[in-house]
Amino acid sequence: MRTITLTDAIREAIEEEMRVDSSVFVVGQDVRGAIFPHTKGLVEEFGTDRVVDTPIAESGMYGVAFGAAQEGMRPIVDFMFGGFSYVTFSECSVTTGQYHFLHGSQHALPIVITAGVGTGQRLANDHAMSIHGTFAHHPGIKVAMPSTPYDAKGMFKAAIRDNNPVVIPWHMGIMMLKGEVPGIGDDYIVPLGVADVKRVGSDVTVLANSLQLQHALSVAEKLAPEISVEVIDPRSFVPFDMETLLTSLEKTNRLVIVDEDWESGGFAATVSARVVEQGFDLLDAPILRVTLPNMPVPGGYMEEYVAPNPERIEAAIREVCL
Amino acid sequence: MANTVTEYVMPKLAMAMNEGTVADWLVQDGDYVEAGIPLAAIETEKVAYDVESPVSGYFYSVVPVGQTVDCGTLLAHFCTEPRRPDAADTSANSSTDLPADTLGANEARSKRDPVAPSVVDSASDTAATSEPKRLKSSPLARKLGKQLNIQLDALTGSGPGGRIVKRDVMAASESKTHQSAQLATAAEASGGDILATLPMSGLRKTIANRMVQSLQNTAQVSCHWESDITRLLAQRAELVEQEDLLGTRVSVNAFLIKALVYAIRQVPIANANVVNDEIVIHRNINMGMAISIPGSTEYDSGLMVGVLHNVESMGLVAIDKGMRSLIARVRNGEATSDDLSGSTFTLSSTAGIGPPGLKTTPVLNQPNVALLGPSTPVERPMIKDGDVKACTMLPLSFTFDHRALDGEPAARFMAALNNALEKPSLLLT
Amino acid sequence: MALSIDQKKSLMTNLIRAEEFNRMMYRRMMQGKLIGFYHPAEGAIAPGVAASTFLNQDDNLSPHHRGHGITHMLSKGIDIKYYLAEHTGKVTGCCEGRSAFHFSFPEHKVYMMSGFIGYNFAPAVGWGFAAKQRQKGQVVMNCSGDGSYGQGRAHEALLMAQNWKLPIIFFCENNGMSIFSTAMEMHPKPDISSLAEGFGMPSAIVDGQNVFEVAEACLEAIARARAGDGPTFIEAKTLRFNEHDIGTPDLSGWEERSEQEHAEMRAREPVTIATKIALEEGWLTQPDIDHMREAALREIADVEAFADESEIARPPVEELMQGVFAP
Repeated sequence: MRTITLTDAIREAIEEEMRVDSSVFVVGQDVRGAIFPHTKGLVEEFGTDRVVDTPIAESGMYGVAFGAAQEGMRPIVDFMFGGFSYVTFSECSVTTGQYHFLHGSQHALPIVITAGVGTGQRLANDHAMSIHGTFAHHPGIKVAMPSTPYDAKGMFKAAIRDNNPVVIPWHMGIMMLKGEVPGIGDDYIVPLGVADVKRVGSDVTVLANSLQLQHALSVAEKLAPEISVEVIDPRSFVPFDMETLLTSLEKTNRLVIVDEDWESGGFAATVSARVVEQGFDLLDAPILRVTLPNMPVPGGYMEEYVAPNPERIEAAIREVCL
Repeated sequence: MANTVTEYVMPKLAMAMNEGTVADWLVQDGDYVEAGIPLAAIETEKVAYDVESPVSGYFYSVVPVGQTVDCGTLLAHFCTEPRRPDAADTSANSSTDLPADTLGANEARSKRDPVAPSVVDSASDTAATSEPKRLKSSPLARKLGKQLNIQLDALTGSGPGGRIVKRDVMAASESKTHQSAQLATAAEASGGDILATLPMSGLRKTIANRMVQSLQNTAQVSCHWESDITRLLAQRAELVEQEDLLGTRVSVNAFLIKALVYAIRQVPIANANVVNDEIVIHRNINMGMAISIPGSTEYDSGLMVGVLHNVESMGLVAIDKGMRSLIARVRNGEATSDDLSGSTFTLSSTAGIGPPGLKTTPVLNQPNVALLGPSTPVERPMIKDGDVKACTMLPLSFTFDHRALDGEPAARFMAALNNALEKPSLLLT
Repeated sequence: MALSIDQKKSLMTNLIRAEEFNRMMYRRMMQGKLIGFYHPAEGAIAPGVAASTFLNQDDNLSPHHRGHGITHMLSKGIDIKYYLAEHTGKVTGCCEGRSAFHFSFPEHKVYMMSGFIGYNFAPAVGWGFAAKQRQKGQVVMNCSGDGSYGQGRAHEALLMAQNWKLPIIFFCENNGMSIFSTAMEMHPKPDISSLAEGFGMPSAIVDGQNVFEVAEACLEAIARARAGDGPTFIEAKTLRFNEHDIGTPDLSGWEERSEQEHAEMRAREPVTIATKIALEEGWLTQPDIDHMREAALREIADVEAFADESEIARPPVEELMQGVFAP
């Protein structure tokens, strides 16, 4: 095992897949010079035909990926910041999600969409918003986010090998998070659609992802003398591993969902509704969600307390255990 | 002199920067440093910078050369006095206290209490039912309550807002078994007179209250006769032979229910409920069935009334299957509220349990006006067409509410029932 | 359109202010005294000054991220202290400290700066539309870089503005760079203004390091727009001396920009060029210029003091929620 950062892990996944499959390529803006570390060095190894910078033309840029995917290539399109995908939103949500299904399921669209998302840099809404909730709403698109370097490498590989559109952003707050990954040459996959129990507990289940997973783990450690917290990382939002969650709830009977997205209409609400439908009798308390309040993500110093944070997660755990 | 201290933290120089290394301090600890002069050489993953001092002051480093820290980590102090800061010194940095509400407005949930229904459904007011009024309880607590036969309305909830939660149910269950275990061991240990002391609470209390109420508030009388079920048993034996084909081993009770349907058709007022000051005669026949359940100790027992709805439209096999699954549900704690409410007539059998020919005075299941209590059949010599024959006689005890039924209709009902039992071909009509 | 002496002096004053303000922002970034990021404007200050100095209060101006719009805003008469307060997360900031590094001064018709490049083209069409309806001679100064013309919406704006003869000046500050990508690589022709030709729109190419040359072209375009004669495309060829934003390496493609490139750029420093012209033409002396710089530094000291002495904005979440919808 080696210790590397989350963005290093993403880069390793990309370069390893590019080495074995010449149809994989990266397209974005300033990916050659690597504005973020996960594309650093790729152009030196693979050249400008496979590491492509476009003008500031999101629709055109996404069109490169979409058309190439239809033509049998396997593009990774990088929006830099998640919010920028909305500049060409209809293409990457509606047109992408519906392509395979509406055309009789005859033609797969293997396209990976990635970008940096998330709070912690005080940059305000444009640069801090999350996109997984919105993309999870549109059928035909898989959505996932890694929380550790190990998961990042395995999930990006799975996404690149998947024959479906996969939106897999990464959280900028854990960009430099270090973690263990297997040695070079270990071609492991972390399958999409499988959740991971990151910490075993018995009193309450906390569902959390990416930066919020790290927060949840630190809260669980802190509360260990009083409350035994089980922390589950969904890893994928679509498809979502309900089985793992229900199995956990059979044991704990209490659920807190942490989601760094707005309260209204997000992933947390969806899981909550499903748990009530499928696991009603397992619940000994209402399901609590810790989310962003329904306001544009403010910049400045307000971000710290408006966004989900360890204090709010702890308060929710205590409330659900009353 | 008071020492005002300004904290200098690792600056965040770029979006992609999460940590930096102090490659070199360009000033010495204790130096008086002017604002704007080169202070330190900072390295990030990508670039190296010389940073400038933000304010003037006496400089004291906190982090040594070569250390890598996260952005925002304290690197050094600038002091107004030539000494390192201590606990008494004031901070010049703006307050970093979070505002009182750090939990976010979306955590301020409004809690709404369930509304109690204004009318209690008396048709469902049987011996033991699911909660007759709206309680605050978690879904899990309710499920466990049914499974463990704990009445939630007897509990006080320890959850938020008085909600009854799992631990309340488990505590009640354990204290029941604990109590009886205690009593059992106490009795054995003492070798004394008291074998068990059972509190009149929970289900027992409910049964007790309902029995007293039934006897006090009605004019119930009990009648006894015996019906010759020799031919009925022969018919039953034919059906029992076809058990695999029919999917069930048709019971005598199924025949009884079929016979009651026949009798009720002749005397509809036997299928009625007394509600307030009215006798409500029902078309549908929802057959209440007294079901014994285990008690909390080896000495006591419990009683619940399951209800098989609309038996008037069911054949023997449907009745038998319906009965069996109803009894199973009730005994497994999986009864629905329909399973436990809405009876219009009740059957309470001691057949196979009591001695042969037992006559009983069964207590009415309010608000029904009638209840049939068969018991263990007995072989008797009877005169048939002038000859003495060995016949299987089923003892039947019939209790009716004389407020609603008089002797004449009651007698007609019993005659009709007897007729159907003795001539089972009438059940085919 | 020839400039009067007073106009030239105004430009010079604003140019020196712009230079000092940019230095101040750069310094504060290095001192950890700014929130978010900063996209330095060294070498790129002349076009914004030229475009904005002669606008009226009710003319629309949309600056862009280079220098965070400060050169443009200070030239239009906006008090930068409210912007620095915003950029440091203070309650006195123009957006109550909520926006990190964004700005909004509606009374000066400077509405916003989005995080998405090229966002401003679509609203600019709207501002031009409204201006045309009102017939008060109002104009729209739509500033952006070369990279933003990759956006489809930029082309849509050019088409509609020309079609409807909207009073919009498409002011392209072409510094040849978009983060690491060069304009040469991302555009098929070296002059962005060649796009205008396709839409039948008049255009001009000016030396973006010479504030006076840019201002002359701007005044002409503003006059055309006020007269109802429609939009103009002005391409100011300028330079970006530093990296895209502080902390990001200064690459071209994926390699460091060369020392030679840097030297060539710095030979065309805008304040040096303007000073030379002013002194040669004789309408300013060096002491005059020194006084301008001193005044700028005093202004900046006040701006910094205002921002640093203001309270950090940390209102309770409920109060923030009240602000989501207008009454």
